[in-house]
Amino acid sequence: MHQAGYNQNCAPPDMAKLQATMRAIELACSSIQMHANPSAAEATILSLNQSPQPYQACQFILENSQLANARFLAAGAIRDAAIREWAFLEADYKKSLIRFCWLFIMKHAGSPEGYVQSKVASVAAQLLKRGWLDFTVAEKEAIFLEVKQAVTGSHIVDVQLVGINFLESLVSEFSPSTSTAMGLPREFHEQCRTSLEMDYIKEFYCWAQYAALNVSHRITGSDTAIPEVKVCSAALRLMLQILNWDFRAKKKAVESSKRGLDVYCGEIKQESNFLGRSECILVQPGSSWCDVLISSGHVGWLLNLYGALRKKFSCEGYWIDCPLAVSARKLIVQFCSITGTIFPSDSGYMHGQYLVQLLSGIIQWIEPPDAVLKAIECGRSESELLDGCRALLSMATVSKPLVFDQLLKSLRPYGTLTLLSVLMSEVIKCLMENLSEEETWSWVARDILLDTWTAFLMHLDGSGHNDMLPAEGISAASNLFAIIVQSELKAASTSAFSDENEYDNLHASIAAMDERLSSYALIARAASSATIPFLTTLFSECVTRLHQGRGTSDPTETLEELYSLLLIAGHVLADEGQGETPLVPKDIQAQFTDVVDADKHPVVILSGSIIRFAEQSLDPEMRTSFFSPRLMEAVIWFLARWSSTYLMPPEENKGNKSGCENYSNAQLRSEHSKNALLSFFGEYNQGKLVLDIIIRISLTTLVSYPGEKDLQGLTCYQLLHGLVRRKNVIAHLVSLDSWRDLANVFANERGLFSLNATHQRSLAETLALSASGMKTSEASNEYIKSLTSHMTANLVALSCKNDFKNIAQQPDILLLVSCLLERLRGVASASEPRIQKAIYEMGFTVMNPILIFLEAYKHESVVVYLLLKFVVHWVDGQIIYLEARETAAAVDFCMRLLRLYSSHNIGKISVSLSNSLRSEADTERYKDLRALLQLLANLCSKDLVDFASEPLEAYGVSISQVVFMGLHIVTPLITSELLKYPKLCHSYFSLLSHMLEVYPEIVAQLNNEAFVHIAETLDFGLHHQDGEVVDLSLRALKALASYHYKEKGMGKVGLGSHATSYKHPGGKVQEGVLSRFLCSLLHLLLFEDYSNDLVSSAADALFPLVLCEQSVYQNLVNELLERQANQMFRLRLTNALQSLTNSNNLSTTLDRVNFQRFRKNLHSFLIEVRGFLQTI
Amino acid sequence: MSDEEHHFESKADAGASKTYPQQAGTIRKNGYTVIKGRPCKVVEVSTSKTGKHGHAKCHFVAIDIFTGKKLEDIVPSSHNCDVPHVNRTDYQLIDISEDGFVSLLTDNGSTKDDLRLPTDENLLTQIKEGFAEGKDLVVSVMSAMGEEQICALKDIGPK
Repeated sequence: MHQAGYNQNCAPPDMAKLQATMRAIELACSSIQMHANPSAAEATILSLNQSPQPYQACQFILENSQLANARFLAAGAIRDAAIREWAFLEADYKKSLIRFCWLFIMKHAGSPEGYVQSKVASVAAQLLKRGWLDFTVAEKEAIFLEVKQAVTGSHIVDVQLVGINFLESLVSEFSPSTSTAMGLPREFHEQCRTSLEMDYIKEFYCWAQYAALNVSHRITGSDTAIPEVKVCSAALRLMLQILNWDFRAKKKAVESSKRGLDVYCGEIKQESNFLGRSECILVQPGSSWCDVLISSGHVGWLLNLYGALRKKFSCEGYWIDCPLAVSARKLIVQFCSITGTIFPSDSGYMHGQYLVQLLSGIIQWIEPPDAVLKAIECGRSESELLDGCRALLSMATVSKPLVFDQLLKSLRPYGTLTLLSVLMSEVIKCLMENLSEEETWSWVARDILLDTWTAFLMHLDGSGHNDMLPAEGISAASNLFAIIVQSELKAASTSAFSDENEYDNLHASIAAMDERLSSYALIARAASSATIPFLTTLFSECVTRLHQGRGTSDPTETLEELYSLLLIAGHVLADEGQGETPLVPKDIQAQFTDVVDADKHPVVILSGSIIRFAEQSLDPEMRTSFFSPRLMEAVIWFLARWSSTYLMPPEENKGNKSGCENYSNAQLRSEHSKNALLSFFGEYNQGKLVLDIIIRISLTTLVSYPGEKDLQGLTCYQLLHGLVRRKNVIAHLVSLDSWRDLANVFANERGLFSLNATHQRSLAETLALSASGMKTSEASNEYIKSLTSHMTANLVALSCKNDFKNIAQQPDILLLVSCLLERLRGVASASEPRIQKAIYEMGFTVMNPILIFLEAYKHESVVVYLLLKFVVHWVDGQIIYLEARETAAAVDFCMRLLRLYSSHNIGKISVSLSNSLRSEADTERYKDLRALLQLLANLCSKDLVDFASEPLEAYGVSISQVVFMGLHIVTPLITSELLKYPKLCHSYFSLLSHMLEVYPEIVAQLNNEAFVHIAETLDFGLHHQDGEVVDLSLRALKALASYHYKEKGMGKVGLGSHATSYKHPGGKVQEGVLSRFLCSLLHLLLFEDYSNDLVSSAADALFPLVLCEQSVYQNLVNELLERQANQMFRLRLTNALQSLTNSNNLSTTLDRVNFQRFRKNLHSFLIEVRGFLQTI
Repeated sequence: MSDEEHHFESKADAGASKTYPQQAGTIRKNGYTVIKGRPCKVVEVSTSKTGKHGHAKCHFVAIDIFTGKKLEDIVPSSHNCDVPHVNRTDYQLIDISEDGFVSLLTDNGSTKDDLRLPTDENLLTQIKEGFAEGKDLVVSVMSAMGEEQICALKDIGPK
């Protein structure tokens, strides 16, 4: 039995005591299982885990207990205790613990309680990792020698399995994503990872390979399952796990060799494109792995092994989903994703050969597609097909597009693309036949294959259009697209009458559909010369059918088909802008070089026919018979997407003459056709006409589709908002009669009040944004004035009514006021320097009414929120431009608003009988307060950016004082209950810490009550569970303490009375705020739980605090030492404390260098002492 | 579906001057509406279509502002709903009588004595204790469609 190293006076093992512990634990285990007094049982188990040096007892239990659960727990206790006490265990004892675990699993190899075995193995792995950086190479070698013996030398199945399982635990422990937390900084895990990758992981792989190789002939030679199958599949699993390792060598390789950069940078870029989409992870183990993986014939061996297995699927013990087959297939798929410097730089020759070899094996899984699919329909397992698809996906990801297509050429008369196209067509046909079924294998197969196409086509796109698809590839793509569209239309018409009620899934399914459609679009664009005319034909067929059936048959199915076609066409023709101006897709630009006449350009023809169809919705009769809200949604969506790419594109203005002389003939022609396409809907051609149609259609959806929120939302947010984002469109927009009509209807008529309020806001913003299209700034301001004057006059008149208080709560008045406020808020958020004057005046006019409304609607939280939000937006857009006098007025108004709000809400108790209304009321208060904090933050920005001509101080306004004043008003409203809303909490603490960091001098001037509140808030923040809030509080503390220390150094008062301790008349000692924070921060650091990321900012706060309150710090340190009874711990603690403040040349000035040194000191201090301080 | 029936039924029940018609599509969450003759606060609005190519309808989940009961309604979004006129008035509390009625001071100096103490435990104790301690209390009275109830309390006096 091993002695606990450090505990010199440890008695020889007391058998009776060990027996008693074992019995207690066993009892606890069984009572937990029977749910008898579980809390007591848990306490017993916990006490074992937490007791100091429980190793003897645990080892005793592991060796002697008959109860597997007890052994499991004992192993866990060894792990917990050893990790905790690691720093002061003796080196030999650490090793002996690991050895004990290893011997244990070897001794019990083949034990039926697998979970105990794997627990002990993982404990051994964790302890080995914990000591990894301390152990010498020889020590590690000694351990691994035994492991190697077990895996490769023993030929006893159970022993081999133990070895492989141990390596599995070890690899997963060393891989950062699967490692267990040990309370150590991230660097430690990184160092372990790097070390294992450099020195061992390849060896592990070779051992596993050797083990698998050795048993494989026995497996292929037998017709029934033999025990060696287990070893083989475990070894394959380990190999797969190792290939899943996140190899770092690749990065170095890329940096070091320019050549590597050229060849692989494309792929690294792609990697980020695919994140989250496809399951394909690149494996880049680096050149050192070439001998093992590539040149050793390893792949051939595995393919043969699997090939032999396939023949056995009918035998007993083997089937398509048996563990060995599954592991082998997974490993083969993983082989397909190997790439990077492992292949020599022979322009991809060896990589190509390698992939061909893999493909020759895989192709049997998927070819011939129709037969394979038929077999699956008849009940064969689909996993082989799916793995085949995954392998194709990996290959498409790692290889260049044309290489990928060529791969199959050496095996078959056609290319990989043709196979892919045929395979996917078959899968889609299967899908079409089983439309009603949910989530079958064919969905999965389709998605993987679609990802494969995307991977392939994105490569094509990324590498410029030198690599045009070969003709065979184009026809493969266009055939596939035809089938895809056919299946989508069939799905549309069959679902036309289904009344789906899955509102919850609606958005999720739209997002999924969007992703699918963009992949379809990539396929279509690859063959756009065929697919775009194809879409045009289908579209006109649908429209014709609609007109023919008019009045005689139900159009619903055709409507649904049109709906799908519009979505597909939109995706094919244009990209999603995502806030940017999207360009005409490259593939579309590159094709159609032979088209000379713009009006014969297929894209123009398709766009034109859709726009003409959309225009028919202006006719009331056509509208009622065909243009259902849903179809209209697709129309608006299409127009929005299409117009941001094709309508008055910015490129057409650029002179394309420059550099034309360098172009070859073909390039010239392609330039010509591109320009023809771009200018057709440009400013000087059809653009204006189409813009007018679009505006008239928009007005129709807003007016003639009452209550269709989704449709109107699309019109407001996507279509109109997209139009006013572009300068050259706006310039034409404001000159259109239809736009003026829209503005007039909006500003002066009541019709649009029936729109949803947020839509009105967006519309107001859109209309205001278009002001920048006016030629002069006067005209812009005049336009804003005409847009808003009616609304502001309305509000002013309302607020002046004598009986306003009485009528205010009438629903019609309520509706009017909230609509008008929403609109003003929309205009305010469209603030631009050019129209700033007009918007300031708009806000100025309604200042008084706003205060009156706030009073009248104090119980109507919806209106209150609107009022606050309007002011927030208005201030946000205005404040930096305002002159000093205007600022003074605005600030004064904000303060009045804050006071009024606070007087209404402080001390108010509302009740409601319903829980949901009560939580609703909480949410409303939270939103209000967040708006108020935003308002203060906006005011703050005046101090950072100010365009006023004279300083603000001339008017006696100091922004910092105003904001502190505001905080003082708002803070009492913020309860700890409300701080549970994370957003509010964040904005509150970031405002607070910003203020303290930038204006610590103001804090010194605060009165006691206000200061105490801030101090309490910071204390609350320090103990918050959200790391970011703690971080913000620490920054604020750092600022306060540093300010105090620096001021003191200059002989000033600093924080003055707030920082000094004094005695109350009653004899109670009021501690200074800094010493209080010093105490609580130290306590937090030493005894509480927190994330390691916070240590640096804690160091930044602690350092100035210690400097400010040196005597308090000394007292705390002494107290801490006195409490430490154990001599050895006390010595360690003394040394650690000593080096915390003295090592690294730390001095007493607060500069960057010193802060950095102190951070380092604190890090090492905490690693040294936290382990034992927390447990004892 | 019987959406329309609900709608008309509620219209018949409501007092004409106590409610106003408003298009269903414009009623937002936290707004008011009348469902089955009761004034309600809307806590959830969702829209759906009648059939794929049909018109939109609004599905309201709302809470009776007096009883706290949950009610639901479906209305075509272009149709009108009744919106109750919900009024809140602040009164100073003068007295609490033994039989559970309160006496309130109105703006014009007279008293209003026809209101019961609220049933909510929390509010009830706050009112009683505050009144016993001699605090100056202001209560908010919510009224709609002929019903009234105390719904909030505020201490305006010095501490």
